[in-house]
Parts: sequence; structure tokens; C-alpha cells
Amino acid sequence: MHPVVRWFHQLGSPPYFERFAARWAPIAYIAGLLVMAYGLYGALFVVPADYQQGDSFRILYIHVPSAWMSMAAFALMALYAAIALIWRIKLCEILAMACAPVGAAFTLITLATGSIWGKPMWGTWWDWDPRLTTELILLFLYLGVIGLYNAIDDRRNASRAAGLLAIVGVALLPVIHYSVTWWNSLHQGQTISLFGTSHMDPSMLPPLWAMVIGTHLWFVGSLLARARADNLRRETGKDWVARLAEPRA
Amino acid sequence: MIRSAAKALMIRDLRLIWRRRGDALQPALFALLVVVLFALALGGEARELAKVAAAVLWLAVLLAGLLALDTLFRGDADDGSLEQWLLAPVPLAWLVLVRTSMHWATTALPLLVATPFLAELLHLPHEQLPVLLASLALGTPLLSLLGAVVAALTVGMRRSGILIALLALPLYVPILVFGAGSVAAAGQGLDPVGALLLLGAGLVLALVLAPLAAAAAIRIALD
Amino acid sequence: MSYQNYVIAAYCVFAVVMLWDFIAPRLQIRQQLRAARLRATRAGRNTTNEFPLSRE
Repeated sequence: MHPVVRWFHQLGSPPYFERFAARWAPIAYIAGLLVMAYGLYGALFVVPADYQQGDSFRILYIHVPSAWMSMAAFALMALYAAIALIWRIKLCEILAMACAPVGAAFTLITLATGSIWGKPMWGTWWDWDPRLTTELILLFLYLGVIGLYNAIDDRRNASRAAGLLAIVGVALLPVIHYSVTWWNSLHQGQTISLFGTSHMDPSMLPPLWAMVIGTHLWFVGSLLARARADNLRRETGKDWVARLAEPRA
Repeated sequence: MIRSAAKALMIRDLRLIWRRRGDALQPALFALLVVVLFALALGGEARELAKVAAAVLWLAVLLAGLLALDTLFRGDADDGSLEQWLLAPVPLAWLVLVRTSMHWATTALPLLVATPFLAELLHLPHEQLPVLLASLALGTPLLSLLGAVVAALTVGMRRSGILIALLALPLYVPILVFGAGSVAAAGQGLDPVGALLLLGAGLVLALVLAPLAAAAAIRIALD
Repeated sequence: MSYQNYVIAAYCVFAVVMLWDFIAPRLQIRQQLRAARLRATRAGRNTTNEFPLSRE
């Protein structure tokens, strides 16, 4: 059997995954932290203040990567859920459910930093703009998946139900965004779009890419850590978990 | 005896809620969703929303509380604890009052804490916020107490969700009128104290009478 | 207008949420391992088979 295929199958074994995740999660965390540290340093101290927005522009370096991460995590969650539902792979169930809290955290960061950025910039903490509204609904979708997963006692049924919800959510998300955009366009009171895209000078980009990569690495670490916890929870009572939990003499 | 019974019930309720503490967030999330839906339906423009913000917030809190009403007695009815209440040496009305207070503390209090954030989403004028919070602080316990009577009436029934709403909402009308009305009056420059005092008086009456009515209803439902 | 407070606030939100994201799974894992250890010691103690009809 091809080594990669064999490794893939081995990951499906709970004890093997436990060892894999215990080893790689810290590496991903640390790598993410280092890259983010570089990005944040650049964002705070290297990049010059924007001539229009001043220093508040620096919030972008957290806001944009978090926004991208919130959507990427949802798409990944739906993908894992689809694999889990079609091929009934237990590990994919676990990974799908592990995506939800991390994705929700990034969505929360996006909404909060966006609100904090919006207050000095455009004078309001909130606006029912299509992008903000869709991001808020995305948060609800995440919370729905988490809530449904926690509400059902049997872990496998719970992950299948919540996974189906995630798939429905990812299918509906573009529809929601389109509908809110269309609705917003009917209200021609605001002919000037409050949240237009700002054009970035190329010198301002490297910290942004660093933050994007850093958050992705962090996401991998968090995913593995949470998957590890869920794996242990599902397998509790088995011998290998008892042996793992033994206090080291 | 009365005090120890109350303490025991309070500790039990808190422990149960702590075990499912995620559920305690659900009314607040529902209220947030109601705010989102109203904002989208009304078009999202700040000036329009500010005019109706207080009313929408009152409705959001009221509806969230209505949905949470089902959990007031259902858990105990399902596992037989409610019948133990009937046999307890303390007055049933007292147990109902303690249970309703705990329920209010765990469902309505988070809503009250969330209200300033929700108000910001609807661009509520800042000077209306204190009156809104005062009206909610007086109104939500009233809603809980009246709701307890309705929940007690329907405790034995399966699938009583809509029925609870149909029975409770007419009873909620005066509370909504005085609650949202007090904020509207404040917004127009009139004194909201009159409406708030009426809410307060209603609350005092309900504190005494509602548990008695609910106790009678439980006895009927469990017979 | 000083944007400094807003920038600090935003970065603080980021730090706090990421910190929670780091701590939460660690707590869960520790809780799971503790539960497994307790379960194992309970099973170990009952090997005298006092209760032959029990499932443990």
C-alpha cells in the first residue's frame, strides 16, 4: 500500500490520532505564534500610518485575516462533515466538530474588531451593511452547529446532525449574502458605501500575509487540540485511554 | 423549614443550570436574532431603527422569555419531582415563587445584561437606555410570574408550545404597553415614572398572587 | 483624534479570544484524562468481584 494512503488510514485509528495530534498541535501553535508575532510587529511598528485613516488602519491586520479565517473554517467544517456523512469516517466527524469553536472565535474577533474599527472611522459601532450582517449570521450558524452537537447525547449521531447543519449552512451562506446585498441595494438612502475597500500600498502587505499564514497555522494547532479532546471523550472507557491517563510513576 | 426548602431548591436549580450552562445563553441569542430580523425587515437604516428601537427590544426580550417559559416546570414534571413538590411540607406557592425567581435570574437577567449591546445594534438613542432598562427590570419579573401561571396550567400537556404562547401573550399585553410605553413617553419628553410605578405595583401584586394561582394550576394539572 | 485606544482595544480582543482558544481544549483534555484515570482506579478496586452482577 502506498505510504501516504497507509498513513491516511492509520490516522483513523483513535490511539494513532491521539499520538499524531499530541505531537503536531504544539508545533502548529508555536509556528503560528511566531509568524503572527512577525505580522503583528510589522502591523504595529513597521507599517506607516495610513494617510486617510491614521493608526486605526492597523486594526485591519487582525480584522481581515480573522474574517478570511472565519469563512475558511466554515467551508472546511462543511467539507469534513460531507466526508463524514458520505463515507462515515469517524475522524472526519471529530475534525468537523472541532472546526466549529475555532471558526466561531475568529468570527467573533472579526465582528468585534470591525465594530471597534468602525467607531472612530465611520462614527458608528454597527451598521446593517451586507458584509457585517452576513458575518453576524455566520456567527449564528457556528453557534447553531456547536449547540446542536452539544444537545444530542450520542456523539456519532450528534456529529452527523450538526454536520448536516453545517452543510446546509455553507450552501445557504452565499444565498444569505446575496439576499442581504440585494435588500440593501433597494434602500438607496446610502448612495455612498460606508465600508468601501481601501486600496493598500504594496509596502503594507507583508504583515497582512504573515497574519493570514499565522492564523491558518494557529487554526491547525487549535483544530488538532480540540480534535484530540473530542477523540479522548469518545474513546473514554477504552483500555488505551486508561493506559494513557495513568500517572507516570 | 421555609428558608431551608428555598435554599435547597435554589442550590439545586443553580447546579442544574451550571451543568447545562450553554443553555443559559440561548434566550439572549434568541433576542439577538429577533433584533437582527427586525433590523433586516425594517431596512437597516440607522434613523429608522432608532425610532422603533425601544419597542423592538421590548419585543425581543418578551419573546425570548416566552420561549424559555417551557423549561420552567417541564424538567421537574418529566422526572416526577413536581409531584414531590405537592407532598412537601412547605407551601407549594412558596416553591413556585422560588423556582420562578431562579428561572428569571437565569433567563431574564442575561437578557437584561445583553440589552445595552442589543440597543447599540438598533441605534437606540442613549438617553432612552436607562428608562428601557428600568422598565425591563420591572417588567421581566412580571412576565415570568404571569408566565409561571400559564406554564403551570399547561404542565401536563405534551406539545404545548404554541398553546403557552396563545395563553400568555394576551396576559403580557398590559406589561408590554406600560413597559414599551414608558420608554416612548421618555422619548417624547414626558415623565415615564407613572408607567414605571404601575409596573412596580403590578409586580408587587403578582409576587403575592401569581404563585398562589400557579400552585392551584399545578394541582389541577397533576390530578 | 487618538486612535490609540481603539487599536489597543482591538488587539486586546484578539489576544483574549486567542488565549481562550488555546486554553479551552487543554482544559478539556485534562478533564478527559482525569476522568479516565478515576474510572481506571475504580475498576481496579473492584476486581475482588464483590458485585458479580455489575457491569464494571
